[in-house]
Amino acid sequence: MNSLNQLLAVFILVNLSIALVRVTRGPTTADRLLAALLFSTSGVAILLLLAYIEEALILLDVALIFSLLAVISGVVFAQRAWRTKEEKNEHS
Amino acid sequence: MISLLRTTLYRSMFFTAVWWILIEGKTDSWFVGLISISLALVTSFILLPPNQFRFSFTGFAHFLIYFFGLSLKGGIAVACMAIRPNPDLHPNIFTITPRLPEGLGRAILTNTLNLLPGTLSVDLTLSSLYIHVLDERQSIETEVRSIEEKIAHMLRLELKKS
Amino acid sequence: MSILELCSIVFLVVGAIFFLAGTIGLLRFPDVYTRLHALAKVDNLGLGFTSIGLVFQAPELVIALKIILIWLLALVASSTLSFLIARRAMKRGIIPWRAKEHTI
Repeated sequence: MNSLNQLLAVFILVNLSIALVRVTRGPTTADRLLAALLFSTSGVAILLLLAYIEEALILLDVALIFSLLAVISGVVFAQRAWRTKEEKNEHS
Repeated sequence: MISLLRTTLYRSMFFTAVWWILIEGKTDSWFVGLISISLALVTSFILLPPNQFRFSFTGFAHFLIYFFGLSLKGGIAVACMAIRPNPDLHPNIFTITPRLPEGLGRAILTNTLNLLPGTLSVDLTLSSLYIHVLDERQSIETEVRSIEEKIAHMLRLELKKS
Repeated sequence: MSILELCSIVFLVVGAIFFLAGTIGLLRFPDVYTRLHALAKVDNLGLGFTSIGLVFQAPELVIALKIILIWLLALVASSTLSFLIARRAMKRGIIPWRAKEHTI
């Protein structure tokens, strides 16, 4: 059972790294932010699997914090960061 | 007054259950728990004043079953679209006037549509909801209407006539 | 092999397939809105299947409930985030790909 968990954790990790290509390619800032969304799903899945593999249930708390941080970073980006840039563009 | 007491009781039970799950059933941090539960209760009353709706558990169960069924069906469709050599995408934006009253009902509708594969809420104004769909050839209207009915049933809200 | 383990394996493998499909969609779809479709939905289904698969392996009931709680939090998170990103992209005037007529 544990070997399957390990295999799947590595598989999802590889998926996550391939998806980072999208972050480098862009083209818009929003495409790059999709990485934050990705970490709140793939990252959480990897952490859940790791919690079982390592038998360290504390990793479940890490998974919780991951998805919370993804929300906060996303909201800050959408409501603040991207907006300021827009205003800068208008002024220049 | 009685309904206020009942709301308080239900909400504190809910938050206690969440706290109990978070600390994995241990009993040694009840003091922090008590503070967190009270804070959560106060916050919930500020953000979501009572007496706006009455939660129905059978409605909730119906909604959940419907939601997971649709989400599975649509997820498979979008996954197939992604894997196919020629992803046959026909995205478009639809406007729909929600029949649900403003507030919690509409927020739940927007978020549900975001989680159902094939639909993405783009904007929500006072009168309209803008939905981005992956395949414009499928009728989205009937789906949205039936989700609305499920949500209205869950929160015992009245639907406006469209 | 017990029936619980079998269920767990099936759910975990299906979840991994959904993750793969989500990644492929993210790389291939043409604009930010369609990519949001691939990410917020297909990946969430992947996470859902993975967590149900792990629930079957849970040593205690509380652990199973906690995994479901984490999944629900992740669901709310991606739903809110995708709405915010889509709305902001719309406000900044990123035109949806290949939409011949839009009503905004």
